[in-house]
Amino acid sequence: MKESTRSVLLVTARTLAASVCVGVVVVARATVGWGSLAIMLVALVGLLAVLASYNRRFR
Amino acid sequence: MPGDPPGTLPRTRPRTGPRTGPGRAAGAAPRHGGAGSAPRRRGNGLFVLACLLPALVLFALFMVVPTVNVFRMSFYTWSGFSPDMRFVGLDNFTALLDDAQFVRAFQNTVALLVVVTVVTMGMGLFLAAIMTRQRLRGRTLYRFVLYVPSVLSVVVIAAIFSAVFDQENGLINGTLRALSLDGLRQVWLGDQDLVLWSVAIAMVWQSLGYYMVLYMSGMASIPEDVYEASALDGASPGRQFFAITLPLIWQNLRTTLTFFVMSAVNLSFVLVRAMTGGGPDGSSEVLLSYMYKQAYTNSSYGYGMAIGVVIFAFSFLVSLLVSRATRREPLQF
Repeated sequence: MKESTRSVLLVTARTLAASVCVGVVVVARATVGWGSLAIMLVALVGLLAVLASYNRRFR
Repeated sequence: MPGDPPGTLPRTRPRTGPRTGPGRAAGAAPRHGGAGSAPRRRGNGLFVLACLLPALVLFALFMVVPTVNVFRMSFYTWSGFSPDMRFVGLDNFTALLDDAQFVRAFQNTVALLVVVTVVTMGMGLFLAAIMTRQRLRGRTLYRFVLYVPSVLSVVVIAAIFSAVFDQENGLINGTLRALSLDGLRQVWLGDQDLVLWSVAIAMVWQSLGYYMVLYMSGMASIPEDVYEASALDGASPGRQFFAITLPLIWQNLRTTLTFFVMSAVNLSFVLVRAMTGGGPDGSSEVLLSYMYKQAYTNSSYGYGMAIGVVIFAFSFLVSLLVSRATRREPLQF
């Protein structure tokens, strides 16, 4: 796979993952309960993981 | 020095005295060190300690003691007024597990933290890049307009948005009515599904200008020739943003992100308190407002402090994770 194609795919995947995490937080908030809170916290950790994966190559 | 042209720095006089180090003649007195250095160091240490002492005392008195007290009080049941305090161990924390309102407040806090941070940081970066890189007409005015909310008191902002979201004569519903879009009118601060996002809009509006200006200052320090060189290589503005701007302001971004996570928790409390009071039916309650309610309105001080411990642990953990996730070597330019 070409480097530029790989880069575009990676950016798209990260953007999608971040959007899904934000969406999960918004949707899970509608239901009150420990389960929903756990899902929201997992989504928050997911967002941070996306950030860490973007940052990894600059370390 | 006399005879030097104005503006020149004084030249260092060549050292003619005895040299310390391997080349020094045996028996020559050292410039520093020797028998007199230990008392002098001790004297310096005492002086430094005396200078630090007032700040340390104030820090201990107003930061360490209250924080430790929060942890201590979370193990007690106390009304906040009576002299009777009863040690209950972890009972306050186990009671939190069965408190649906606490869970709801926690969920609202996480939702605000995620949504407001993503929107504020994203829009702040975008607007800063536009203002810095594009030669917009009247950009000083835009910058001023966007920065004004940061100077306003949060209570004033709450009053402004209470007026904006007013059900009858508010800016939003009034505009919708004027446009004959009555079907889209909402009870912005009275609908349980909408109220938190109304508060989120106020939070973004309040913070956006401040972070935009911070990012603009970071971007302004990037040398123009870096952009010129990349433009000659055929880089688009988007590519320049991700390959030049973002890496070169990363330390700035990292600091603001960590700072924002902590300030968002505090800001949400003030806005919720002033705009909705946690209502309707607790649907806009956040952790800090719920803690305040329990400790000072419900006279359950110990229970409120247990919520405070959870807030402390949560904020600390998220800040730590953000700091770890964004850590990188600073770039020199």
